[in-house]
Amino acid sequence: MSTIAIISSFADDTRCARAIEQLREAELGDFNTFSPIPSHKIEHAIGRSKSPVRWLVLAGGISGVLTGLAITIGTTYEWGLNAGGKPLVSWPPFIVICFELMVLLGGIFGFLGVLMLSGVPTTETAPGYDGRFGGDRFGIVVRCDEAQAERVESMLKESGAEEIVREDEAQPR
Amino acid sequence: MSSNLQLAHRKRAATKPQAVESVAGATMKAAAGAMIVLGAIAFVVALSRGGAAIAWEAYLVNLLFFLGVAQGAVVASSSFYLTQAKWGGSTPYRLGEAFAPFLWVGFFLFFGLYFGRSLIFPWVTHPIAQKAAWLNTPFLFARDGIALGAMAVASFAFIRVSRGDGARAWTIATDEIELPPHSIRVLAPVVAVLFAAVYSLIAFDLVMSLAPVWRSTLFGWYFFAGCFWSGVTAMALTAVVLRGRLGENNLFTNPTVMHDLGKMVFAFSVFWIYLLFAQYIVIWYGDLPVETFFIVQRVHHMPWSPLSVACVVLIWLIPFTLLMSVRAKKTPVILGTVSALGLAGMWLERYVLVVPSLSLDAIPFGATQFLISIGFLGAFLLSAVPGLNRVAQAATSGEPVGDDAE
Repeated sequence: MSTIAIISSFADDTRCARAIEQLREAELGDFNTFSPIPSHKIEHAIGRSKSPVRWLVLAGGISGVLTGLAITIGTTYEWGLNAGGKPLVSWPPFIVICFELMVLLGGIFGFLGVLMLSGVPTTETAPGYDGRFGGDRFGIVVRCDEAQAERVESMLKESGAEEIVREDEAQPR
Repeated sequence: MSSNLQLAHRKRAATKPQAVESVAGATMKAAAGAMIVLGAIAFVVALSRGGAAIAWEAYLVNLLFFLGVAQGAVVASSSFYLTQAKWGGSTPYRLGEAFAPFLWVGFFLFFGLYFGRSLIFPWVTHPIAQKAAWLNTPFLFARDGIALGAMAVASFAFIRVSRGDGARAWTIATDEIELPPHSIRVLAPVVAVLFAAVYSLIAFDLVMSLAPVWRSTLFGWYFFAGCFWSGVTAMALTAVVLRGRLGENNLFTNPTVMHDLGKMVFAFSVFWIYLLFAQYIVIWYGDLPVETFFIVQRVHHMPWSPLSVACVVLIWLIPFTLLMSVRAKKTPVILGTVSALGLAGMWLERYVLVVPSLSLDAIPFGATQFLISIGFLGAFLLSAVPGLNRVAQAATSGEPVGDDAE
């Protein structure tokens, strides 16, 4: 019995998430989901644990604050900058610089983290990917035994799939 | 929460609506009535026994605080329309509108200040020549009276439409009805914009003019952002309290709804500290005595500095640290405690804004202020009774909750 791929497209993430939940409950084959937008509903349905990117952002944020403190305190001591007779190390203006550097480095770490963890850039397309899944459609590609194909297809249709295509694994689209 | 569970929750809620006659019934009315009587007695006793200054300060602090809560919550409801919020069906709207009757109470209590004007407003006894055109008794009471009256009229016009069938149908329809009724789309922005204008004016007239030489352009914004936050916080606290009193399947047992309320409390607490800091740093940099004295007195001088620090802790530090995680926002005990502490912090903030301008050194806080505050709280609760029953009705109706309840 051969494995085949079933490619289905959905018009919205609610229906797509419903299909994912049903597929997971029925434990039929493994599947990939394509989404043109980040969707909480699909994330919940897939049940993936939280992304480690947030720890990278935290690390970036903390290094930003430390950099900010080093720059502000370091330069005022190095140059003895006296502004209006105020103490050399005065926290109110330093907060602004620390805050901005926290946002900047946190953002950069987060951006690079996303690229790194998602393996972007890449030249390969995941099997079953369709250009529409980067446009206005959500897609689920299920790989399963041929014997289960009927069940999977009816399940997808029930969940509100617009279009269901069956393909041999050997010839990815 | 997976949408499966959510669906199950909705189905359960839809099949088993629980009848709620009244969450705020005779006991609450009697208690609130007793609180008002206590407050009134304390006020009269203080006036007749030489504590007039203390009594009027407490009167003003409480008027500002409770008026801010009531109005802030109505503006929260109007801002839900502006952002097309459907995360809790019609309940968050009813929650925001619940305290509105106090707007009229506050409107009438405002004119009570007329009798204490010489004790509250320093410029009544020592007029400032350059500012006399603005800071004089008839003009102040006329413009603020008109402003508060207009605010109350606009708020009630908004609430009337918001409680109507058209607006309600929109709040509970997931996607059939695209926009709320036209009248709401006019009245919601009117309420929001008027709020910014009127409460800036109130901040300038009833808080800033107590130290008539001091000025901060941002102060009005800072003040009404605090009002808005206290309204949102009161809504969250009410939701937590009602959650335990409305039986099994009320809307507030839905963790996503509590999460959304928690997000509001978290976000606008950060906004408050942002505005506080934005004012602070400009005054710090400029270092002009005419601006710094207001801050120095409150931040560096006893007995006010610990109170100022307490405000920042209660309004920003505690909500920011405790409500950061999703789980904490969804835990009613945490959200309720943070909200209650936040409201206490907001009351204290009004106190620290008003009282140091009038009584320089000592913290005149004793039985008189406490009882007057209790009296205002009683009036606030009594005026909220019908609104709270509406909230209970909406939260237990089992109506569908919008699709974007995430």
